[in-house]
Amino acid sequence: MKAENETKRNIKLAVDYGLYTLIACVFVLPIIYMFVSAFKTDAQIVSDMSTVKAFLPTGKLSFDNFVAIVDQVKFFRFFKNSALVTLLNVSLATILNAMAGYCLGMLDFKSKKTIISLIIALSIVPSEAVVLNKFMIVNKLGMINSLLGLAIPSVGYPMFIFLYYNHFKGMPKELVEAAIVDGETYGGVFWKIMLPLSKPVLATVTIMGFIRSWGDLLWPTLVTRDETWRTLPLALRALSTDVYIYWGQIFAFSSLMTLPVLILFLVFQKQFIASVTSSGIKG
Amino acid sequence: MKSKSSNKGLAAAQRRTSLIYMAPACILITVFILLPFILSVYYSFTNKMLVPKAGKSTEFVGFANYIKVFTNSATAKSFVNTGIYALMVVPAIIILGTLLAVFVNKPLKGVKTFRAIYFSPQIVTMTVVAVVWSFILSPNDTGIMNSLLSKFGIPAQSWLQDSRLALFSIAIMYIWQTLGMEMLIILGGLQYIPLEVYEAADLDGCSGVQRFVRITVPLLKNTMVYVMLSVTINTLKLFTQVYMLTNGGPKNATTSVIYQLYKVGFMNNQQGFSSAIAVVFFVIVLGISLLQNYLMRDK
Repeated sequence: MKAENETKRNIKLAVDYGLYTLIACVFVLPIIYMFVSAFKTDAQIVSDMSTVKAFLPTGKLSFDNFVAIVDQVKFFRFFKNSALVTLLNVSLATILNAMAGYCLGMLDFKSKKTIISLIIALSIVPSEAVVLNKFMIVNKLGMINSLLGLAIPSVGYPMFIFLYYNHFKGMPKELVEAAIVDGETYGGVFWKIMLPLSKPVLATVTIMGFIRSWGDLLWPTLVTRDETWRTLPLALRALSTDVYIYWGQIFAFSSLMTLPVLILFLVFQKQFIASVTSSGIKG
Repeated sequence: MKSKSSNKGLAAAQRRTSLIYMAPACILITVFILLPFILSVYYSFTNKMLVPKAGKSTEFVGFANYIKVFTNSATAKSFVNTGIYALMVVPAIIILGTLLAVFVNKPLKGVKTFRAIYFSPQIVTMTVVAVVWSFILSPNDTGIMNSLLSKFGIPAQSWLQDSRLALFSIAIMYIWQTLGMEMLIILGGLQYIPLEVYEAADLDGCSGVQRFVRITVPLLKNTMVYVMLSVTINTLKLFTQVYMLTNGGPKNATTSVIYQLYKVGFMNNQQGFSSAIAVVFFVIVLGISLLQNYLMRDK
C-alpha cells in the first residue's frame, strides 16, 4: 500500500517535471536558435532549418558573422550610442523621479494633492500617442539627432513618480522628523536616509527603465537623422530590411544585442523577478 | 515641544525643498508629455503639416480630421486591426498565464529555475524577438514552424506574407515574449492568498476544482484585472513588430494605430490628422484605465 503511494507520487512528479521541461523548451528554443545560428554560415542555417539541428551547434562554427558585424556593420558604434542613451536616461529617470516622489510622499506643501492627481492623470497618456508633437518640440529645442534628444524626453515619467510616491508614503515619517531635529535638512534626509532605504524600488525602476530604453524603436526612429546617433534597434532594422539578408549576421547582431541584458538578468535575477511578481499586488 | 516659529520654519523648509526637488521631473513632464498632449488636441482640429509648405497656412478644420479617422479606410482598419490583435493576445495571456502560474506554484525542487526560464523571453527586446521569429516563421516548406506543423499534417503557411495570418504571427511573438512575465504577476497574486484559507477549505472537504473556482478566482480578482487591462493597453501600443517586419502589409492587414499615426504624421506630413488619431487613441486608453479603476475599487 505504502509502496504503491510512493510510485504514484513519483509518477506524478515525473509528469510535472516532464511538463516543466517541455514548456521551458517553448520559451528557450527560439533564444537558443538565435545564439547557435550566430556561429553558422548562412547556408548551414538554411539547411538546418527543417530539423532539430536548427537548435544545435552543427556544421562548421566560426566567429565570421561577429567579425562581419563589428567590421562592416559597425556594431560597437551603435552599441556605444545605445549604451550612452540608456545610461543617461535610466540614471536621470531613477533619481529625478525619486526626488519628486519623495516630496509628494513625505513632505507637506501647498497644492500637493493637485500635483498628485495631475501625475496620476498624466500616467495614463501613452507616450506613443503624443510622439509626433513631442518630436516637434524636440525639433524646436534643436535636440534632433543628439544624445540629449534621444535620452531626455522620456526621463520625467509619471508612472515612476507614482511608484516612488507610493513607496515613500508608506515610510515612517518619524525617520524624517528625528533627522530634522538632529539638524539634517530635508534634502539631506532624502540622500542620506531615504535613498539607502529604498533599494528595492530603485532596483525596480532601474530595471523597468533599462528595458524601456534599451529596446525603444519608435522614438529613435523619429529623432535620429543618420548613423551618428543610430541606436541598436534601429541598426538591427536597417540590417534586416537590407536588399540582401545575411541571416548569420542578423543572428550575430541580435545575440550581441541581447547579451548585456542577459548578463544583467542573470546577475540581478532575484530583483528582476521580485519587482515583476509584486507589480500586480501593488497595481 | 516644538515652538510655533520653528514649526513655521520647518514648513517653509519643506516648501523650499519640494520646489527644488520637484522641479526637474515636473518641468520634463510638462515639456515632453503635457505640452505635446495639449498640442495634439489643438492640432487635431487643424490641417497643420509637420513640415509647412510655402503659401499654405494652418487653418481650423473643425471635426474634419476626426471624421477622417473613421472614413479613411487604412486608418479605420488600423483601429480594427489593433482591436483584433488585442483580442488575440489578451485572452491567450490570461488563460495560459493563469494555468502556468497555478502549475509553477508548487513547492518542488528547481521550480524557481523554471519560473526564471519562462520569464527569460521578456529580456529579449521586441526588435530582436521580431527578427528571430520572422526566421522561425519562414514561409517556405523548410521553415522551422512549417516543418514542425507538417509533422501534424498541417500544410506550409506563408505567415507574415499572408494577410489572414500576418496579425496572428505578430501576436504569437508578443505572447511568447510576455507570457512568462504575466505568469509571474499572477503567481504573485496567488502567493498573496493566505494558506489558511485553503486549509480551512480542505477541512470543509472542498475538491481541487471547487478550491480554484471558489477561492483562487475571487481572491485573484484584482491581480487579474490588473493583468488584463495592463496587457490590453500594452497591446494597443503595437508598433515594433509592424515597423520591423511588415510596414503595415500585406494589404494593410497589420497596420496598427501607432504605426498609422507615425506614417500619417511623419511620412505623409499630416500632423493635424495624425494628432486626431492620437486623441482618439488616447480616449480609448483612458476608457480602459477608468474601467480598471472602477473594477479594482475597494468595496
